[in-house]
Amino acid sequence: MPQSIRAGSGTRAAIFAPLDGAGRAELVLQRLTDAIVLGVLHNGERLPSEAELARQLGVATVTAREALEILRRNNLVHTKRGRDGGSFVTFAGGGATDLQDDRLLAWSRVQVRDLGVHYSAIAGLAAELAAERASAADIANLERILDRTDAGTADAARRGQGTFRLEVAALSQSARLVREELRLQAEFGSLLWLSLREPRRRERCRAEQRETVAALVAEDGARARQLTVSQITESIEWLIEAKARLEQKGRSTMTGSTSAPVPTGAPA
Amino acid sequence: MTITPEQTTPPTDACVASIADVFDPVFSRLEQWADLVERYAARPDSVADRAELDPLVEQLVRREFADSDGCVIGAGFVSAPHFLGWHLAWWLGGQNAASQGLPATGIRHLETVEDPLKESFRDYTALEWWRVPAHTGRRHITGPYVDYLCTDEYTLTLTLPVYRGGTELIGVVGIDLSVDEIERDLVPRLDAGAVAATVINASGRVVVSTDAHLATGALLRLPGLTERLADPTPAFTALGPDGAHSFQWCGRTGLAVVAGPAPS
Repeated sequence: MPQSIRAGSGTRAAIFAPLDGAGRAELVLQRLTDAIVLGVLHNGERLPSEAELARQLGVATVTAREALEILRRNNLVHTKRGRDGGSFVTFAGGGATDLQDDRLLAWSRVQVRDLGVHYSAIAGLAAELAAERASAADIANLERILDRTDAGTADAARRGQGTFRLEVAALSQSARLVREELRLQAEFGSLLWLSLREPRRRERCRAEQRETVAALVAEDGARARQLTVSQITESIEWLIEAKARLEQKGRSTMTGSTSAPVPTGAPA
Repeated sequence: MTITPEQTTPPTDACVASIADVFDPVFSRLEQWADLVERYAARPDSVADRAELDPLVEQLVRREFADSDGCVIGAGFVSAPHFLGWHLAWWLGGQNAASQGLPATGIRHLETVEDPLKESFRDYTALEWWRVPAHTGRRHITGPYVDYLCTDEYTLTLTLPVYRGGTELIGVVGIDLSVDEIERDLVPRLDAGAVAATVINASGRVVVSTDAHLATGALLRLPGLTERLADPTPAFTALGPDGAHSFQWCGRTGLAVVAGPAPS
Protein backbone atom coordinates (compact mmCIF):
# COMPACT_ATOMS: atom_id res chain seq x y z
CA MET A 1 0.00 0.00 0.00
CA PRO A 2 1.73 3.15 -1.14
CA GLN A 3 2.44 6.60 0.12
CA SER A 4 1.09 8.35 3.12
CA ILE A 5 -1.30 11.13 2.37
CA ARG A 6 -1.47 12.45 5.90
CA ALA A 7 1.45 14.12 7.58
CA GLY A 8 2.88 11.92 10.27
CA SER A 9 1.45 8.58 9.28
CA GLY A 10 4.74 7.44 7.78
CA THR A 11 6.81 8.11 10.84
CA ARG A 12 4.03 6.57 12.89
CA ALA A 13 4.17 3.37 10.92
CA ALA A 14 7.94 3.37 11.40
CA ILE A 15 7.54 3.25 15.16
CA PHE A 16 5.94 -0.14 14.99
CA ALA A 17 8.12 -1.51 12.21
CA PRO A 18 10.25 -4.44 13.34
CA LEU A 19 13.59 -3.86 14.99
CA ASP A 20 16.58 -6.02 14.39
CA GLY A 21 20.14 -6.26 15.66
CA ALA A 22 21.55 -5.95 19.13
CA GLY A 23 20.35 -3.82 22.02
CA ARG A 24 16.72 -4.33 21.21
CA ALA A 25 15.29 -3.33 24.58
CA GLU A 26 17.20 -0.08 24.37
CA LEU A 27 16.00 0.50 20.81
CA VAL A 28 12.38 -0.23 21.75
CA LEU A 29 12.72 2.19 24.64
CA GLN A 30 14.37 4.90 22.53
CA ARG A 31 11.87 4.55 19.72
CA LEU A 32 8.83 4.75 21.98
CA THR A 33 10.34 7.60 24.01
CA ASP A 34 11.01 9.54 20.83
CA ALA A 35 7.53 8.86 19.55
CA ILE A 36 5.97 10.08 22.78
CA VAL A 37 8.21 13.12 23.12
CA LEU A 38 7.77 13.95 19.47
CA GLY A 39 4.01 13.69 19.84
CA VAL A 40 3.57 10.95 17.24
CA LEU A 41 1.93 9.00 20.05
CA HIS A 42 -0.45 11.31 21.86
CA ASN A 43 -1.15 12.01 25.47
CA GLY A 44 -3.80 9.56 26.69
CA GLU A 45 -3.32 7.22 23.73
CA ARG A 46 -3.35 3.54 24.56
CA LEU A 47 -0.25 1.59 23.54
CA PRO A 48 -0.55 -1.93 22.15
CA SER A 49 -0.38 -4.67 24.80
CA GLU A 50 3.01 -6.17 25.73
CA ALA A 51 2.36 -9.18 23.57
CA GLU A 52 1.08 -7.11 20.64
CA LEU A 53 3.97 -4.66 20.91
CA ALA A 54 6.44 -7.56 20.98
CA ARG A 55 4.79 -9.10 17.93
CA GLN A 56 4.74 -5.86 15.94
CA LEU A 57 8.32 -4.93 16.75
CA GLY A 58 9.53 -8.51 16.32
CA VAL A 59 11.09 -8.70 19.80
CA ALA A 60 10.54 -11.04 22.76
CA THR A 61 7.62 -10.23 25.06
CA VAL A 62 10.07 -9.80 27.92
CA THR A 63 11.92 -7.14 25.91
CA ALA A 64 8.70 -5.21 25.29
CA ARG A 65 7.79 -5.55 28.98
CA GLU A 66 11.18 -4.22 30.02
CA ALA A 67 10.84 -1.19 27.75
CA LEU A 68 7.31 -0.46 29.03
CA GLU A 69 8.57 -0.75 32.61
CA ILE A 70 11.24 1.89 31.99
CA LEU A 71 8.71 4.15 30.22
CA ARG A 72 6.54 3.85 33.34
CA ARG A 73 9.48 4.72 35.57
CA ASN A 74 10.18 7.76 33.36
CA ASN A 75 6.53 8.80 33.76
CA LEU A 76 5.90 8.59 30.03
CA VAL A 77 3.18 5.94 30.35
CA HIS A 78 0.96 4.71 33.14
CA THR A 79 -0.71 1.34 33.38
CA LYS A 80 -4.33 0.78 34.29
CA ARG A 81 -5.56 -2.65 35.36
CA GLY A 82 -8.89 -4.20 34.55
CA ARG A 83 -11.14 -4.50 31.56
CA ASP A 84 -10.36 -1.06 30.12
CA GLY A 85 -6.76 -1.37 31.26
CA GLY A 86 -3.51 -1.08 29.34
CA SER A 87 -0.58 1.27 29.02
CA PHE A 88 -1.46 4.88 28.28
CA VAL A 89 0.77 7.72 27.20
CA THR A 90 0.99 10.32 29.96
CA PHE A 91 2.97 13.06 28.44
CA ALA A 92 1.53 16.50 27.82
CA GLY A 93 4.70 18.02 26.46
CA GLY A 94 5.97 20.03 29.40
CA GLY A 95 8.97 17.82 29.98
CA ALA A 96 9.98 17.46 26.34
CA THR A 97 12.58 20.16 26.61
CA ASP A 98 14.28 18.56 29.62
CA LEU A 99 14.30 15.15 28.07
CA GLN A 100 15.88 16.30 24.83
CA ASP A 101 18.29 18.53 26.69
CA ASP A 102 19.48 15.56 28.75
CA ARG A 103 20.09 13.70 25.56
CA LEU A 104 21.94 16.59 23.96
CA LEU A 105 24.14 16.96 27.05
CA ALA A 106 24.92 13.26 27.03
CA TRP A 107 26.13 13.31 23.42
CA SER A 108 29.60 14.58 22.57
CA ARG A 109 30.05 17.19 19.84
CA VAL A 110 31.77 14.54 17.76
CA GLN A 111 28.74 12.26 18.06
CA VAL A 112 26.32 15.04 17.13
CA ARG A 113 28.38 15.98 14.09
CA ASP A 114 28.77 12.37 13.07
CA LEU A 115 25.00 11.90 13.20
CA GLY A 116 24.78 14.84 10.82
CA VAL A 117 27.30 13.26 8.46
CA HIS A 118 25.48 9.92 8.49
CA TYR A 119 22.10 11.51 7.94
CA SER A 120 23.46 13.79 5.19
CA ALA A 121 24.83 10.76 3.35
CA ILE A 122 21.43 9.09 3.41
CA ALA A 123 19.10 12.05 2.90
CA GLY A 124 21.42 13.84 0.46
CA LEU A 125 21.68 10.97 -1.98
CA ALA A 126 17.97 10.23 -1.57
CA ALA A 127 17.19 13.80 -2.64
CA GLU A 128 19.59 13.58 -5.57
CA LEU A 129 18.02 10.35 -6.82
CA ALA A 130 14.52 11.71 -6.24
CA ALA A 131 15.26 14.54 -8.69
CA GLU A 132 16.00 11.95 -11.35
CA ARG A 133 13.15 9.60 -10.55
CA ALA A 134 10.17 11.63 -9.40
CA SER A 135 7.26 11.70 -11.84
CA ALA A 136 4.86 14.63 -12.15
CA ALA A 137 2.34 12.73 -10.00
CA ASP A 138 5.00 12.20 -7.30
CA ILE A 139 5.75 15.94 -7.26
CA ALA A 140 2.03 16.75 -7.01
CA ASN A 141 1.76 14.39 -4.02
CA LEU A 142 4.77 16.04 -2.35
CA GLU A 143 3.27 19.49 -2.87
CA ARG A 144 -0.02 18.30 -1.39
CA ILE A 145 1.84 17.12 1.69
CA LEU A 146 3.63 20.46 2.03
CA ASP A 147 0.35 22.35 1.67
CA ARG A 148 -1.13 20.29 4.48
CA THR A 149 1.86 20.57 6.77
CA ASP A 150 1.35 22.92 9.66
CA ALA A 151 4.51 24.63 10.87
CA GLY A 152 2.83 26.51 13.71
CA THR A 153 4.44 24.57 16.53
CA ALA A 154 7.81 22.89 16.98
CA ASP A 155 6.13 19.47 17.11
CA ALA A 156 4.06 19.98 13.99
CA ALA A 157 7.08 21.33 12.13
CA ARG A 158 9.20 18.32 13.19
CA ARG A 159 6.50 15.90 12.15
CA GLY A 160 6.12 17.77 8.87
CA GLN A 161 9.86 17.67 8.23
CA GLY A 162 9.93 13.95 9.08
CA THR A 163 7.12 13.23 6.63
CA PHE A 164 8.69 15.39 3.94
CA ARG A 165 12.10 13.71 4.23
CA LEU A 166 10.47 10.29 4.21
CA GLU A 167 8.46 11.07 1.08
CA VAL A 168 11.58 12.37 -0.67
CA ALA A 169 13.45 9.21 0.37
CA ALA A 170 10.63 7.10 -1.09
CA LEU A 171 11.03 8.94 -4.41
CA SER A 172 14.61 7.68 -4.59
CA GLN A 173 13.04 4.24 -5.25
CA SER A 174 15.67 2.70 -2.98
CA ALA A 175 14.30 0.39 -0.28
CA ARG A 176 17.59 0.59 1.61
CA LEU A 177 17.63 4.38 1.70
CA VAL A 178 14.02 4.42 2.86
CA ARG A 179 14.71 1.93 5.65
CA GLU A 180 17.76 3.90 6.77
CA GLU A 181 15.79 7.16 6.66
CA LEU A 182 13.08 5.55 8.81
CA ARG A 183 15.62 4.15 11.26
CA LEU A 184 17.42 7.47 11.63
CA GLN A 185 14.14 9.32 12.07
CA ALA A 186 12.82 6.89 14.64
CA GLU A 187 16.01 6.99 16.66
CA PHE A 188 17.20 10.57 16.25
CA GLY A 189 14.39 12.51 14.58
CA SER A 190 13.33 14.41 17.67
CA LEU A 191 16.92 15.43 18.43
CA LEU A 192 17.94 16.18 14.87
CA TRP A 193 15.25 18.80 14.27
CA LEU A 194 15.35 20.36 17.72
CA SER A 195 16.19 23.64 16.00
CA LEU A 196 12.55 23.83 14.87
CA ARG A 197 11.79 25.09 18.36
CA GLU A 198 12.55 28.51 16.92
CA PRO A 199 9.82 30.07 14.75
CA ARG A 200 12.48 31.63 12.50
CA ARG A 201 13.95 28.18 11.85
CA ARG A 202 10.53 26.78 11.10
CA GLU A 203 9.95 29.41 8.44
CA ARG A 204 13.36 28.71 6.97
CA CYS A 205 12.71 24.96 6.98
CA ARG A 206 9.48 25.49 5.11
CA ALA A 207 11.19 27.68 2.52
CA GLU A 208 13.88 25.02 2.09
CA GLN A 209 11.26 22.33 1.60
CA ARG A 210 9.70 24.41 -1.18
CA GLU A 211 13.12 24.99 -2.75
CA THR A 212 13.83 21.27 -2.62
CA VAL A 213 10.59 20.54 -4.45
CA ALA A 214 11.55 23.17 -7.04
CA ALA A 215 14.89 21.39 -7.50
CA LEU A 216 13.07 18.07 -7.99
CA VAL A 217 10.80 19.68 -10.58
CA ALA A 218 13.88 21.06 -12.36
CA GLU A 219 15.43 17.55 -12.22
CA ASP A 220 18.40 19.24 -10.57
CA GLY A 221 19.77 16.47 -8.37
CA ALA A 222 22.88 18.36 -7.31
CA ARG A 223 20.78 21.26 -6.06
CA ALA A 224 18.36 18.95 -4.21
CA ARG A 225 21.28 17.23 -2.51
CA GLN A 226 22.98 20.52 -1.66
CA LEU A 227 19.80 21.95 -0.11
CA THR A 228 19.31 18.81 1.96
CA VAL A 229 22.88 18.64 3.22
CA SER A 230 23.07 22.34 4.09
CA GLN A 231 19.78 22.09 5.97
CA ILE A 232 21.08 19.19 8.02
CA THR A 233 24.40 20.95 8.65
CA GLU A 234 22.61 24.07 9.90
CA SER A 235 20.49 21.98 12.23
CA ILE A 236 23.56 20.18 13.60
CA GLU A 237 25.35 23.49 14.17
CA TRP A 238 22.30 24.78 16.01
CA LEU A 239 22.45 21.66 18.22
CA ILE A 240 26.11 22.22 19.01
CA GLU A 241 25.46 25.86 19.95
CA ALA A 242 22.50 24.77 22.06
CA LYS A 243 24.68 22.16 23.73
CA ALA A 244 27.31 24.81 24.54
CA ARG A 245 24.63 27.05 26.07
CA LEU A 246 23.30 24.15 28.12
CA GLU A 247 26.74 23.32 29.38
CA GLN A 248 27.30 26.95 30.37
CA LYS A 249 24.07 27.21 32.25
CA GLY A 250 24.44 23.86 33.91
CA ARG A 251 21.04 22.24 34.17
CA SER A 252 19.04 25.46 33.85
CA THR A 253 16.40 25.69 31.17
CA MET A 254 17.09 26.16 27.50
CA THR A 255 14.09 27.86 26.05
CA GLY A 256 15.60 29.91 23.26
CA SER A 257 13.11 32.29 21.72
CA THR A 258 10.12 30.01 22.28
CA SER A 259 9.37 29.81 25.95
CA ALA A 260 5.98 28.14 25.74
CA PRO A 261 5.95 24.41 26.46
CA VAL A 262 5.65 22.40 23.30
CA PRO A 263 2.23 20.78 22.97
CA THR A 264 2.29 17.16 21.93
CA GLY A 265 -1.22 17.04 20.56
CA ALA A 266 -1.60 17.18 16.81
CA PRO A 267 -2.98 20.47 15.60
CA ALA A 268 -6.21 20.02 13.71
CA MET B 1 25.75 -9.68 -25.63
CA THR B 2 27.07 -7.52 -28.49
CA ILE B 3 25.05 -4.44 -29.12
CA THR B 4 24.99 -3.00 -32.59
CA PRO B 5 22.38 -0.34 -33.27
CA GLU B 6 21.91 -1.49 -36.86
CA GLN B 7 20.48 -4.74 -35.60
CA THR B 8 17.76 -3.02 -33.61
CA THR B 9 14.48 -4.84 -34.03
CA PRO B 10 11.23 -4.68 -32.16
CA PRO B 11 10.88 -7.21 -29.37
CA THR B 12 9.21 -10.29 -30.74
CA ASP B 13 5.53 -10.90 -30.08
CA ALA B 14 6.60 -13.96 -28.11
CA CYS B 15 8.75 -11.84 -25.82
CA VAL B 16 5.98 -9.32 -25.19
CA ALA B 17 3.45 -12.11 -24.67
CA SER B 18 5.71 -13.87 -22.19
CA ILE B 19 5.91 -10.71 -20.08
CA ALA B 20 2.12 -10.61 -19.99
CA ASP B 21 2.21 -14.32 -19.03
CA VAL B 22 3.81 -13.38 -15.73
CA PHE B 23 1.00 -11.03 -14.73
CA ASP B 24 -2.07 -12.47 -16.43
CA PRO B 25 -2.39 -15.49 -14.09
CA VAL B 26 -2.21 -13.13 -11.10
CA PHE B 27 -5.00 -11.03 -12.58
CA SER B 28 -7.00 -14.20 -13.32
CA ARG B 29 -6.88 -15.05 -9.63
CA LEU B 30 -7.87 -11.50 -8.76
CA GLU B 31 -10.84 -11.90 -11.11
CA GLN B 32 -11.89 -15.01 -9.19
CA TRP B 33 -11.57 -13.13 -5.91
CA ALA B 34 -13.54 -10.19 -7.26
CA ASP B 35 -16.21 -12.62 -8.42
CA LEU B 36 -16.43 -14.22 -4.98
CA VAL B 37 -16.66 -10.89 -3.17
CA GLU B 38 -19.25 -9.74 -5.68
CA ARG B 39 -21.38 -12.85 -5.12
CA TYR B 40 -21.07 -12.38 -1.37
CA ALA B 41 -22.20 -8.75 -1.67
CA ALA B 42 -25.08 -9.62 -3.99
CA ARG B 43 -26.80 -12.11 -1.65
CA PRO B 44 -30.40 -10.96 -1.35
CA ASP B 45 -31.79 -9.80 2.02
CA SER B 46 -28.50 -9.80 3.88
CA VAL B 47 -26.18 -7.07 5.03
CA ALA B 48 -22.47 -7.34 4.23
CA ASP B 49 -20.46 -7.99 7.37
CA ARG B 50 -16.68 -7.83 7.62
CA ALA B 51 -16.73 -10.63 10.22
CA GLU B 52 -18.13 -12.89 7.50
CA LEU B 53 -16.21 -11.60 4.52
CA ASP B 54 -12.76 -11.41 6.13
CA PRO B 55 -12.42 -15.17 6.75
CA LEU B 56 -13.45 -15.82 3.13
CA VAL B 57 -10.78 -13.46 1.86
CA GLU B 58 -8.21 -14.87 4.28
CA GLN B 59 -8.76 -18.34 2.85
CA LEU B 60 -8.09 -17.15 -0.69
CA VAL B 61 -5.06 -15.19 0.40
CA ARG B 62 -3.63 -18.12 2.38
CA ARG B 63 -3.80 -20.32 -0.69
CA GLU B 64 -2.16 -17.60 -2.77
CA PHE B 65 0.77 -17.31 -0.38
CA ALA B 66 1.22 -21.07 -0.31
CA ASP B 67 1.39 -21.28 -4.13
CA SER B 68 3.44 -18.19 -4.92
CA ASP B 69 7.10 -19.13 -4.25
CA GLY B 70 7.70 -15.95 -2.32
CA CYS B 71 6.58 -13.59 -5.08
CA VAL B 72 3.46 -12.48 -3.22
CA ILE B 73 4.17 -10.28 -0.21
CA GLY B 74 0.65 -9.06 0.52
CA ALA B 75 -2.90 -9.62 -0.71
CA GLY B 76 -6.54 -9.04 0.07
CA PHE B 77 -9.65 -6.96 -0.41
CA VAL B 78 -10.03 -3.27 0.34
CA SER B 79 -13.57 -2.07 0.92
CA ALA B 80 -15.22 1.03 -0.49
CA PRO B 81 -16.09 3.29 2.48
CA HIS B 82 -19.84 2.84 1.91
CA PHE B 83 -19.63 -0.97 1.73
CA LEU B 84 -17.93 -2.23 4.92
CA GLY B 85 -16.70 1.16 6.10
CA TRP B 86 -13.01 2.02 5.84
CA HIS B 87 -11.63 -1.47 5.90
CA LEU B 88 -8.65 -3.43 4.61
CA ALA B 89 -8.99 -7.21 4.62
CA TRP B 90 -5.28 -7.47 3.83
CA TRP B 91 -2.65 -10.04 4.79
CA LEU B 92 1.13 -9.99 4.68
CA GLY B 93 3.28 -13.03 4.00
CA GLY B 94 5.86 -14.58 6.28
CA GLN B 95 8.65 -13.82 3.82
CA ASN B 96 8.81 -10.07 4.04
CA ALA B 97 10.82 -7.84 6.31
CA ALA B 98 7.79 -6.53 8.19
CA SER B 99 6.97 -9.93 9.60
CA GLN B 100 10.36 -11.32 10.53
CA GLY B 101 8.99 -12.29 13.89
CA LEU B 102 6.67 -14.80 12.27
CA PRO B 103 7.38 -18.32 11.07
CA ALA B 104 8.10 -18.37 7.34
CA THR B 105 4.77 -20.07 6.68
CA GLY B 106 2.67 -17.65 8.70
CA ILE B 107 0.61 -14.81 7.37
CA ARG B 108 -0.27 -11.70 9.30
CA HIS B 109 -3.32 -9.48 9.10
CA LEU B 110 -2.41 -5.88 8.26
CA GLU B 111 -3.53 -3.67 11.12
CA THR B 112 -4.64 -0.28 9.93
CA VAL B 113 -6.32 2.75 11.41
CA GLU B 114 -9.92 2.64 10.15
CA ASP B 115 -11.23 5.64 12.06
CA PRO B 116 -11.12 8.68 9.74
CA LEU B 117 -10.92 11.00 12.74
CA LYS B 118 -7.59 9.58 13.87
CA GLU B 119 -4.48 11.44 12.80
CA SER B 120 -2.78 8.43 11.28
CA PHE B 121 -5.85 7.43 9.25
CA ARG B 122 -5.08 7.08 5.55
CA ASP B 123 -7.68 7.86 2.92
CA TYR B 124 -6.72 5.02 0.63
CA THR B 125 -9.21 6.04 -2.06
CA ALA B 126 -6.73 8.77 -3.02
CA LEU B 127 -3.91 6.29 -3.61
CA GLU B 128 -2.94 5.09 -7.05
CA TRP B 129 -3.79 1.39 -6.49
CA TRP B 130 -7.35 2.43 -5.63
CA ARG B 131 -7.80 5.61 -7.65
CA VAL B 132 -6.80 4.30 -11.07
CA PRO B 133 -8.84 1.07 -11.21
CA ALA B 134 -11.80 2.87 -9.60
CA HIS B 135 -11.60 5.50 -12.34
CA THR B 136 -10.99 3.23 -15.34
CA GLY B 137 -12.94 0.17 -14.14
CA ARG B 138 -9.99 -1.94 -15.24
CA ARG B 139 -7.02 -3.79 -13.78
CA HIS B 140 -4.01 -1.70 -12.83
CA ILE B 141 -0.37 -2.20 -11.84
CA THR B 142 1.00 0.37 -9.36
CA GLY B 143 4.74 0.69 -8.89
CA PRO B 144 7.49 -0.28 -8.54
CA TYR B 145 7.55 1.73 -5.31
CA VAL B 146 9.00 1.38 -1.83
CA ASP B 147 6.05 0.40 0.34
CA TYR B 148 7.36 1.95 3.54
CA LEU B 149 4.01 2.01 5.31
CA CYS B 150 3.37 -1.66 5.01
CA THR B 151 6.35 -3.92 4.37
CA ASP B 152 9.38 -1.70 3.57
CA GLU B 153 9.65 -3.78 0.41
CA TYR B 154 10.12 -2.74 -3.17
CA THR B 155 6.68 -3.59 -4.52
CA LEU B 156 4.37 -3.90 -7.50
CA THR B 157 0.68 -3.74 -6.54
CA LEU B 158 -1.84 -5.35 -8.89
CA THR B 159 -5.44 -4.26 -8.28
CA LEU B 160 -8.84 -4.92 -9.82
CA PRO B 161 -12.10 -3.09 -9.01
CA VAL B 162 -15.05 -5.07 -7.61
CA TYR B 163 -18.61 -4.10 -8.57
CA ARG B 164 -21.99 -5.06 -7.17
CA GLY B 165 -24.66 -5.35 -9.81
CA GLY B 166 -22.11 -4.40 -12.45
CA THR B 167 -21.99 -0.70 -11.61
CA GLU B 168 -21.61 -0.05 -7.88
CA LEU B 169 -17.94 -0.01 -6.83
CA ILE B 170 -17.64 -1.88 -3.52
CA GLY B 171 -13.86 -2.20 -3.32
CA VAL B 172 -10.70 -3.49 -4.96
CA VAL B 173 -8.95 -6.83 -4.71
CA GLY B 174 -5.18 -6.74 -4.91
CA ILE B 175 -1.90 -8.58 -4.70
CA ASP B 176 1.49 -7.06 -3.80
CA LEU B 177 4.41 -8.66 -5.64
CA SER B 178 8.05 -8.39 -4.66
CA VAL B 179 10.02 -6.57 -7.35
CA ASP B 180 13.09 -8.69 -6.47
CA GLU B 181 11.22 -11.88 -7.25
CA ILE B 182 9.52 -10.48 -10.35
CA GLU B 183 12.91 -9.48 -11.74
CA ARG B 184 14.06 -13.10 -11.59
CA ASP B 185 11.00 -14.06 -13.57
CA LEU B 186 11.13 -11.26 -16.15
CA VAL B 187 14.78 -11.01 -17.12
CA PRO B 188 15.00 -14.38 -18.90
CA ARG B 189 11.93 -13.42 -20.93
CA LEU B 190 13.53 -10.21 -22.19
CA ASP B 191 16.11 -11.82 -24.42
CA ALA B 192 15.18 -9.73 -27.45
CA GLY B 193 18.31 -10.33 -29.51
CA ALA B 194 20.97 -7.67 -29.91
CA VAL B 195 18.91 -4.92 -28.34
CA ALA B 196 18.29 -3.58 -24.86
CA ALA B 197 14.78 -4.41 -23.72
CA THR B 198 13.06 -2.55 -20.91
CA VAL B 199 9.73 -3.18 -19.22
CA ILE B 200 8.13 0.07 -18.06
CA ASN B 201 4.90 0.87 -16.27
CA ALA B 202 2.25 3.25 -17.57
CA SER B 203 4.15 6.22 -16.08
CA GLY B 204 7.35 5.27 -17.92
CA ARG B 205 9.02 3.93 -14.78
CA VAL B 206 11.44 1.06 -15.34
CA VAL B 207 10.26 -2.28 -13.92
CA VAL B 208 13.23 -4.21 -15.25
CA SER B 209 15.74 -3.69 -18.06
CA THR B 210 18.49 -5.65 -19.77
CA ASP B 211 20.33 -2.32 -20.12
CA ALA B 212 22.69 -2.04 -17.14
CA HIS B 213 22.41 1.77 -17.35
CA LEU B 214 18.69 1.67 -16.65
CA ALA B 215 17.95 1.08 -12.98
CA THR B 216 14.63 -0.32 -11.86
CA GLY B 217 12.65 2.64 -10.53
CA ALA B 218 14.26 5.16 -12.88
CA LEU B 219 12.07 7.04 -15.35
CA LEU B 220 12.75 6.14 -18.95
CA ARG B 221 13.25 9.44 -20.77
CA LEU B 222 12.75 9.12 -24.48
CA PRO B 223 11.35 11.66 -26.96
CA GLY B 224 7.73 10.79 -27.73
CA LEU B 225 7.37 8.28 -24.90
CA THR B 226 4.96 10.35 -22.79
CA GLU B 227 2.62 10.78 -25.78
CA ARG B 228 2.84 7.09 -26.62
CA LEU B 229 2.01 6.10 -23.03
CA ALA B 230 -1.17 8.18 -23.25
CA ASP B 231 -2.30 6.15 -26.25
CA PRO B 232 -3.69 2.65 -25.66
CA THR B 233 -3.30 1.50 -29.30
CA PRO B 234 -1.65 -1.90 -29.18
CA ALA B 235 0.47 -1.63 -32.36
CA PHE B 236 4.25 -1.29 -32.45
CA THR B 237 5.51 2.27 -32.58
CA ALA B 238 8.95 3.56 -33.38
CA LEU B 239 10.24 6.02 -30.80
CA GLY B 240 13.24 8.12 -29.93
CA PRO B 241 15.91 9.73 -32.06
CA ASP B 242 15.89 8.21 -35.58
CA GLY B 243 13.05 5.96 -34.48
CA ALA B 244 15.65 3.53 -33.17
CA HIS B 245 13.46 2.39 -30.27
CA SER B 246 10.29 0.38 -30.48
CA PHE B 247 7.36 0.47 -28.11
CA GLN B 248 4.67 -2.11 -27.47
CA TRP B 249 2.07 -2.61 -24.77
CA CYS B 250 2.22 -6.00 -22.97
CA GLY B 251 -1.33 -7.18 -23.56
CA ARG B 252 -3.71 -5.72 -20.99
CA THR B 253 -1.22 -5.49 -18.15
CA GLY B 254 -0.64 -1.75 -18.45
CA LEU B 255 3.07 -2.47 -18.81
CA ALA B 256 5.00 -1.87 -22.00
CA VAL B 257 8.23 -3.10 -23.53
CA VAL B 258 10.64 -0.60 -25.07
CA ALA B 259 13.49 -2.05 -27.10
CA GLY B 260 16.36 -0.19 -28.61
CA PRO B 261 20.10 0.19 -28.86
CA ALA B 262 21.74 0.27 -25.47
CA PRO B 263 23.63 3.51 -24.83
CA SER B 264 27.38 2.89 -24.97
